[in-house]
Amino acid sequence: MSDGGRRFDPGLQPERTALAWRRTGLAVAVGAIAGTRVLFPTLGVGAVVVGLLGLGLAALLVLGSTRRARRAEACLLQDGNLVSGPGGRLVAAVCVASTAIGVAALVAVVGPHL
Amino acid sequence: MSSPVTPRRFPRWVFGEGSEPDPRFTLANERTFLAWIRTALALLACGVALEAVAPPMQPQLRLAASVLLIVLGLLTPVQAWFAWSRDERAMRNGRPLSAPALMVPLAVGSAITGVLLLAALLLR
Repeated sequence: MSDGGRRFDPGLQPERTALAWRRTGLAVAVGAIAGTRVLFPTLGVGAVVVGLLGLGLAALLVLGSTRRARRAEACLLQDGNLVSGPGGRLVAAVCVASTAIGVAALVAVVGPHL
Repeated sequence: MSSPVTPRRFPRWVFGEGSEPDPRFTLANERTFLAWIRTALALLACGVALEAVAPPMQPQLRLAASVLLIVLGLLTPVQAWFAWSRDERAMRNGRPLSAPALMVPLAVGSAITGVLLLAALLLR
């Protein structure tokens, strides 16, 4: 972020955004671990698979946040805007993954009653 | 200043038109999107936990509350994607932002969940 002490803005927007991505990733990690623990008696190995997929998504979010923040900062220091900044690929991936988690949750809850 | 349009940024129908807004607004839009995603994860976690922990409640009403929470948790990421892309487009074109479409269903759904859980507790 530092460019001879000059900053894009004193509100530290790229850092705040990176932190928002990271806490979303941590929420997914906690959910994956708790979900594996809670679903293991009913789903068995399936619960472990779901948990590992969740941890993979969490890793993607935390690593993705770092890449996005670096790109945004480089771009802000160079151009002063986000013209060549990060796009919506990770945003779309997160939506697809959350929907998949939701479908898995629905199957886990409704499945035993069918 | 570089050109206002960078077709390399995904998706094209968002970034392919208009001019680059204040970067703070783009980043704030992203954080709002992430807040919706965390809301979705919280709804899903509550829905699963309710059935997995199985607290002593009337089972049908508890299941109904759980399914309602999960359905809301499934709709929220869809809403998050549409709100993020629509707002980014609006900012690029200097149009006003719109309110999230899921706000009222989410409030009503949460209230119904509360009523279901209260009834499930009283009728156990």
